[in-house]
Amino acid sequence: MSPTDAAIEVENLVKIYQAKSARPVRALDGLSFSVKRGEIFGLLGENGAGKTTLLRILATLLRPTSGRATLMGLDVEQRGYDVRKHICAVLQENAVEVFLSVEDNFATYARFHSIPRQEIRAVSDRVIGQFGLGEFRKQKVIDLSGGLKRRVQVAKVFMVDKPVVFLDEATTGMDPINKRGTLEAIREQARQGRTILLTTHMLEEAEELCDTIAIIDRGSVVAVGDPDRIKSLGSAVVEIHVTYESLDEGVLAELSRLPLLKLERRHSTLDLSVNSKLISPFAVLQKVGQVGDVLSFEVNSGSLEDAFIELLGKRKTGKGGAS
Amino acid sequence: MKMIRAVLYREYLIRTTSLTWAFYDLFMPLTYMLLFGIGLDRAFASGVQSGGRIVGYNSFFLAGVLAMASFGIAINTAYGFFVDRENGMLSEFLTYPMTRGEFLVGKILFNSLLALVQALVTTGAGALLLGIPLRWDRAGFLVPGVVVGTAGWFFFLTTFALRIRRNDMFNTFINIAYFLLMFGSSMFYPLEGLPLWLRVFSSVNPLTWHADVLRYLTIGLGSADTILAESAAFMLFTFLSFLAAVRTLQRGIVK
Repeated sequence: MSPTDAAIEVENLVKIYQAKSARPVRALDGLSFSVKRGEIFGLLGENGAGKTTLLRILATLLRPTSGRATLMGLDVEQRGYDVRKHICAVLQENAVEVFLSVEDNFATYARFHSIPRQEIRAVSDRVIGQFGLGEFRKQKVIDLSGGLKRRVQVAKVFMVDKPVVFLDEATTGMDPINKRGTLEAIREQARQGRTILLTTHMLEEAEELCDTIAIIDRGSVVAVGDPDRIKSLGSAVVEIHVTYESLDEGVLAELSRLPLLKLERRHSTLDLSVNSKLISPFAVLQKVGQVGDVLSFEVNSGSLEDAFIELLGKRKTGKGGAS
Repeated sequence: MKMIRAVLYREYLIRTTSLTWAFYDLFMPLTYMLLFGIGLDRAFASGVQSGGRIVGYNSFFLAGVLAMASFGIAINTAYGFFVDRENGMLSEFLTYPMTRGEFLVGKILFNSLLALVQALVTTGAGALLLGIPLRWDRAGFLVPGVVVGTAGWFFFLTTFALRIRRNDMFNTFINIAYFLLMFGSSMFYPLEGLPLWLRVFSSVNPLTWHADVLRYLTIGLGSADTILAESAAFMLFTFLSFLAAVRTLQRGIVK
């Protein structure tokens, strides 16, 4: 990728937290990747994988221990002020002025991002409408529910036009309707050429939204690529969906003895994931068929979630990872 | 300047969300002077001797009250970092397109203006109600005296507010600092009659420098040379505190 294509470049980034009363924590361990301009890039990983630390370094809130990161060609450590002119961020924790009204929250955010005073009202109205906050505009944020507070926080970044947007678990705590609206707003921003770097625990959301995904574990990249490529890295995983008329109760106990990755029973359906290298999906189907009255079944290649679990599972059991 | 104005606007909005708060901000020093000051003025009816002059206690105490008000506003503003941190706003502010210095200056500017209004109310009421003989010719210098004083203490306390992660620890630190700095200074009494160790401590205490400068500007007590040296020392203290606060913000905020 040429330097002009990359919105973000991360090279061998290391961050070690020096704790007074505990061993130093190596949050980032030689992390490297790049993000193209205008793409939606998802960072996936377990809690403590280093996603938030990375975002905080890119947002100039933290300094790396070593390595280098650039944003729009600017070194985040050396040129923090210039970097901040190019970004807006939704951080993991709620960030709202709880003692101010919803519209004052938008007004202050607009001033900090140099929206001309005569345009603030119009821009606020647009975003307030877009995020369904109209009926709360005069209310103090302290009186709003957690989900609404998060909505106010996320909505703010859609007031401004910055080339790079950081979203750290932005949809956490939102109801499905607002989550959908937020995802659509994110897509719209990307269509306008903004680069979005997001972290999420919701893998379906990442699969639906992201052009590129990086899976991070213990501060380094385990896998990076488009969602299909990441899914193919977990190609041994097969998902089985069974619809049945009746099922012998003992079957669940019997199935749970098999090396399954997932086993979920809902009303008249069973969802299973298996690693086909360990057990044949057809052997599993046969077992279900022996003790139940199966109406239909589907066998699909694994989801992003399966790949995620398999890739991180391999590392935990020391069986190596993907690149 | 645009960013400083934005911070100023935000501080104004936050501060005006409570009228009780605004009332307390404006009239607390005056109340202090009217209760505590008058009490001691009666106790020391013959006045206090300082710099070869005898002055009424109310006159002497006026500068102490102004210095205490600046210090109090600086504490409140620094304590605001904990509220901002709790609300997640501190981290978010630091991702905004402004320098760390602009953030700090904007934060204290509104509160320095508040300290100025406080000083105006307290000084005016002191002259009118208590008959304190003011040096009107030096009144204009009170503006930098109050603004720099408030800013200096705010920058000094910022480093601690950002480094101390627990607000109960910060409260303890403030209580200790407040006690040592206030009673080890010329705020409440002249230094001349104090034991040597306390005089030495007080003479290197920036609160003494600030109170002495304000006293010189309000009632003309003190020698110009000493006041000039104390002003320079306080400005150096302010500058170094500012650098330390900016450096703390640049080193990174974990949360």
